[in-house]
Amino acid sequence: MTEPLLKVRGLCKHFASAGQTVNVLSGLELTLAPGESLALMGRSGSGKSTLLNILCGLERPDAGSVGIAGEHFAADSNANGQNQQRWAMLRRQRIGVVFQEANLMPALSLLDNVRLRARLAGQRDKHCGDWLTRLGIGELAQRYPDQVSGGQRQRAALAMVFAMRPSLILADEPTGSLDARTALEVADELFHQQAASGCALILATHDSALAARCGQRLDLAQLGA
Amino acid sequence: MFLLPASQFLNLFSALFSHYRRHPLQLLALALMIMLSTMLWTGVNYLTTQARASLGQSEQAVAARSQLERVDGQALTVADFVTLRRAGLCVMPWLEVERPGQAGRLVGIDPLAAGCFAQTAPAVGNNSPEPEESPATSKKPEPAWAPALNGEPFVDISEAAALAQNVAPRNVSLSLLIVPPEPASALPADYRMKGFSLGPDTGELGDSFLLNLDALGFLVLLITALLLRSVYQLGMAQRRDSFALLHRFGVIPSAINRVLLVEILLLALLSVVPGVWLGRLLAGTVSGGFGQALDSLFDTPLYAGQSENWLTPTVTMMAIVLVVCLAQNVRALLLRMAAGLPFALPAKLLTGFGLRPWPWLALPLAAVGLAMALLAQSLPLVFFAVALVFAATGIAAPFAIAALSASLARKTREPLARWRHTELGVMARRLALPLVALQFALAMVLAVQALVTVFEATFDEWLGQRLAADYFIEVPAGASANAAAQWLAAQPELAQRGDWHQVVRGVAQVPSADSQAKTVDLFALGPVSPLLTMWSLQAAGDQPWQGFAAGEGVMVNEQLARRYPLAVGDSLALTLADTRLELPVLAIYADYGRPAGEVLINLDLLPAGYVPEFESFSISPGASDIELITDDLQRLWQVDSVRVRDNKRIRELADAVFDQTFLLTRAMTFVTLVLAAVALLIMGWVFFSTRAWYFRLLQVWGLTRRQVLAQLGRLALTLTLSITLLALPLGVWLTWVLVHRINPLAFGWSLPMAIYPGFWLQLGVVSVLVGLSITLLMRSQLGGSGPKPVSAASLQGDER
Repeated sequence: MTEPLLKVRGLCKHFASAGQTVNVLSGLELTLAPGESLALMGRSGSGKSTLLNILCGLERPDAGSVGIAGEHFAADSNANGQNQQRWAMLRRQRIGVVFQEANLMPALSLLDNVRLRARLAGQRDKHCGDWLTRLGIGELAQRYPDQVSGGQRQRAALAMVFAMRPSLILADEPTGSLDARTALEVADELFHQQAASGCALILATHDSALAARCGQRLDLAQLGA
Repeated sequence: MFLLPASQFLNLFSALFSHYRRHPLQLLALALMIMLSTMLWTGVNYLTTQARASLGQSEQAVAARSQLERVDGQALTVADFVTLRRAGLCVMPWLEVERPGQAGRLVGIDPLAAGCFAQTAPAVGNNSPEPEESPATSKKPEPAWAPALNGEPFVDISEAAALAQNVAPRNVSLSLLIVPPEPASALPADYRMKGFSLGPDTGELGDSFLLNLDALGFLVLLITALLLRSVYQLGMAQRRDSFALLHRFGVIPSAINRVLLVEILLLALLSVVPGVWLGRLLAGTVSGGFGQALDSLFDTPLYAGQSENWLTPTVTMMAIVLVVCLAQNVRALLLRMAAGLPFALPAKLLTGFGLRPWPWLALPLAAVGLAMALLAQSLPLVFFAVALVFAATGIAAPFAIAALSASLARKTREPLARWRHTELGVMARRLALPLVALQFALAMVLAVQALVTVFEATFDEWLGQRLAADYFIEVPAGASANAAAQWLAAQPELAQRGDWHQVVRGVAQVPSADSQAKTVDLFALGPVSPLLTMWSLQAAGDQPWQGFAAGEGVMVNEQLARRYPLAVGDSLALTLADTRLELPVLAIYADYGRPAGEVLINLDLLPAGYVPEFESFSISPGASDIELITDDLQRLWQVDSVRVRDNKRIRELADAVFDQTFLLTRAMTFVTLVLAAVALLIMGWVFFSTRAWYFRLLQVWGLTRRQVLAQLGRLALTLTLSITLLALPLGVWLTWVLVHRINPLAFGWSLPMAIYPGFWLQLGVVSVLVGLSITLLMRSQLGGSGPKPVSAASLQGDER
C-alpha cells in the first residue's frame, strides 16, 4: 500500500462568535495518498477553508495532528517557531494553494508570477512558459493580471501551482467566480494536470458535479458541529 | 435637503458613510490630517501675524525720535524742562537707570508730560511709521511714548530719580524727548534737536524674518493641501465601487456628490475648529520666548500677544479642505460650465489638452525654473522660479522612483526582487501626493535649517566683529573727538594692553549711472586696531588692512558692491564735503541687517570741513578701568556725563532675540516635517493594508512571516529613503536660492552657502523611522486573516 501523503488525526477547530463557541471541525480524521483527490463539500461556514488553511499551516488547530509529506505537526506542540519554519518550507516546495481569486501578484506579468512561484519552490524557471502554454495561455505570458479574463487568471494560477511541482494541491473553490463554461475548462485542466503530475488534490467546492470528479468526498456539514 | 427629500438624503448619507464605519482608521486619519494641517497653518499664520505686529511696534518704539540737548554741551536739568514747557513745547523727561546687579534698565517718565506725546503720536519722530492697527484686532499697539506705569520697566520719574541716587552716574542718563515744534524756529536758541533711539533697530533683519515666516506659511499650506488631498483620494479610490453600486441602484452622481460635500463639510468643521485651537496653543507656546526677548531688547512690552480672531483661520482652512478634497467635483463643475461656452479653449485648458500627467513636463519646468532662479532680478520672479522647480520635482519624483524601480525590475532575474521593484513602482505612483509632500517638507526643513544655522554663525561672527570692543563711548555734542583721540593715544596703559578706535559716521556722495550723485553711508575709522583687522572680508586684495591704514584705498560693504557694482581693485570716486577722492576698493566686507550702501575709509582721509552725523569711540580698555577713562573724558570734554554702552550687554540682547526667532523658525519647520512624516506613515500604513493580501500570498507561497516582514520593510524603507534622497538636492538648491538670490534681492546682502551633511543624516533617520513604523504597524495585519483580496479586475491598470 502507498504511504499516505496526508494523515489527519482528531483535528478540532472552534471559533468564538458573538460570545458563543462555534465548532467547525470536531475530531476530523483524514488520509490521502499521492495522486488521490478529495472533494471537501459543505455549506458556507462549514469549515472548508479553515481545514485548507490548517492543512497548509496558515491556521493552527485547537487539537489533533497533521502529518504531511513526512512532517508531523501536533496542535499541542510548543515548538511554534520551528513549526512555522517547517510549514513555510512545505508550502514553498510541496503544497500548492489555489484560491477562488487573487492568486497572482498584480504588479507582475503572468509569466513572472509563475516564475516567482517556481523559483520559491526551488524549481528552475525555464519551464514556466511551458506551463502557461499547457494551460492554454502561452500567448498571454507577458500580460498582467488585470489585462486578462478571470478564467485566464485562474489558468495562470494553476500554471503557478504546477510549475512548483507540488505533492499536494489545496484548491479553495477555484472555479467559484467563473462562468459555467470557463469553470468547466479550468476544472478539466486542473484534473488533467493533477493526474499527469501525480500529486494529491484537495478541492473545496459547492459544486457536486465537480466534487464527483474527485476520488473521495468529505462532507464537512455532516461531520461538523 | 439639497434637492433630495430628507429621508432619502439621510439614507444615502448613511450608505456612503458606512465606508468609514468599516474603515474607522481612515476616517480618523482624515480627521487627524485636517486637524494637524489646520493646527500647523494656524500656528504659522498666528506667529507671522503677531510677529509682524510685534516688529511693527518695535519699529515704532525704536524709531528715531527727537530729543533735545544743550548747545553748550552741558547736561540737561529740571530747569531746562521747565523753561521748555513754559515756552509751550511738548517735552518729556526720560530718565534711564541701569538696575544695579540686574539685567535691564528702568525708565522713569512723567505721565503728565507724556500726555502731549500721546495726542501727537503720529507726528512724533523723523521716521515714525503711522500707527498700525493690529491685523487681527482693531486694538492699537501700545505707543512706546505712553507706556503703562506698571513698574516693569516704566516707573514714575520720581521713583527712577530715587533709584538713580544709588547707582553710578554713568549708569544714569536723562534725556528730554520733544515733539518737533512747528515751525522749527520755535525752539529756543540754547537747544538743538538730535535723534533719540530706545535700542538697536532690528530693521531689515526683522523683515527677513517675516519674509521667511510668510514663505514658510505658504509652503506649509501647500504641503498640508497635498497631504489632505492624498488621504482623501485614497478613501475615494476605495469607495469607487460603492458609488458605482449606488449608481446602479438609481442614485444619480450629482446626489452622491452633494452627500459627499455635506460629509466633508461636517468632517472639516469638526476637525478645523479644534485644529485652530491647537494652532493657537502651539503659537502661544513657542511665541512666549520670542515676546520676552523682544520685551527685553526694547524695554517695552512689544509682543502683540494673540488676537481673538477665530474666523479667518477657520474659514481659510475650511475653504482649503473643501477645494482640496472636492477638486475633482469643482473641475467637473467648471467643465460643465465651460462646455456651455461658444469657444473650446477653457474646456481644453481644464482637461490639460487631453494630455496625461506629465512627467515630460518636469524637464522644461525645471529648466525654466532653474534658469529663472539664476538670472531673475526681481524677488517675485525668483519666487515664481522656486514654484516652478518645486512643481517640476513634485511631478518628477514619483515618476523617477517608478521609472528607476521599473528599470531595476527589468534588469534583475530574481523573481522576488523583480516583484519588490515593481511593487515599489506601484507604491511610488499610488502614494505620489504624500511622497511629494514629504519631499517638500524635507527640502524645506533642510533649507531652513541650513539658512538658520549659517545665519546664526554669520550673524554671530559679524556681531562679534562690530561689537569687538568692550565699550562704546558716544562723543557729546560740541565736544572734540580729536582731542579725545589724542588723549587716548597718549595713554600708555591703553596703548600697551588695550585697543581703541575712533568712529565717525556720516554720508558721502558717489556718482551714479544717471549722472546724479547718490548718497551713501560713510563709516570712517582710525587708527586701525586689532578690533578692526579681525573682520572677515568677503573679497580682498593683498594685505587690505595695511593699505587701509596707509590710506591707500577704501573698503565697501556688500550692498554697495552689489548695487554699484564694485569689485576689489575698482576705483571709487567719493565726494566728502567739497573734497573729491578717488580711491581703489581694497576689500568688500559683509554688513548684515540693513540695505544701505556704505564706504569704510581711514579717518585720516576725512577732509577738515567734513561734518559728521555721529562720533564715538570703541574701546577695549584692557587692564585700565573704563570708569577712569570715562571720568577723564568727561573732564576733557567738560560735560556732566558721558554715555557709555556696554557692548557685551547689547550682544546678549541681540543674541536673545535672534535665538528666539531662529528657535521659532526651527520649531515650525520641525512640526511641518513631523506632519509630513505622520501623513506618509498613515498613508503608507493604509496603502500597505490594502495590499496586505499580496504579502499574505507570499506567506502562502512559503515565505515565513519574518521573511514577508523583511520584504515589506525593505519596500517601505526604500520608498522613504528614496524620497529623502530626492529631497536633498532640492533642499540644497533651495538653500542656495535663499542665501544667494532671495536675501541679496530682498535685503542687498547675501549669506555664505553652507551644507550640513550631519543634518542630512538626521533626515535620513526620520525617513528610516517612518519606514520602520509602517513595517511595525503592518506586522499585526500579516498575522491574522488578511483583508479581503482585491480582485485584479478592480485594479484598473495602475499596477504598471
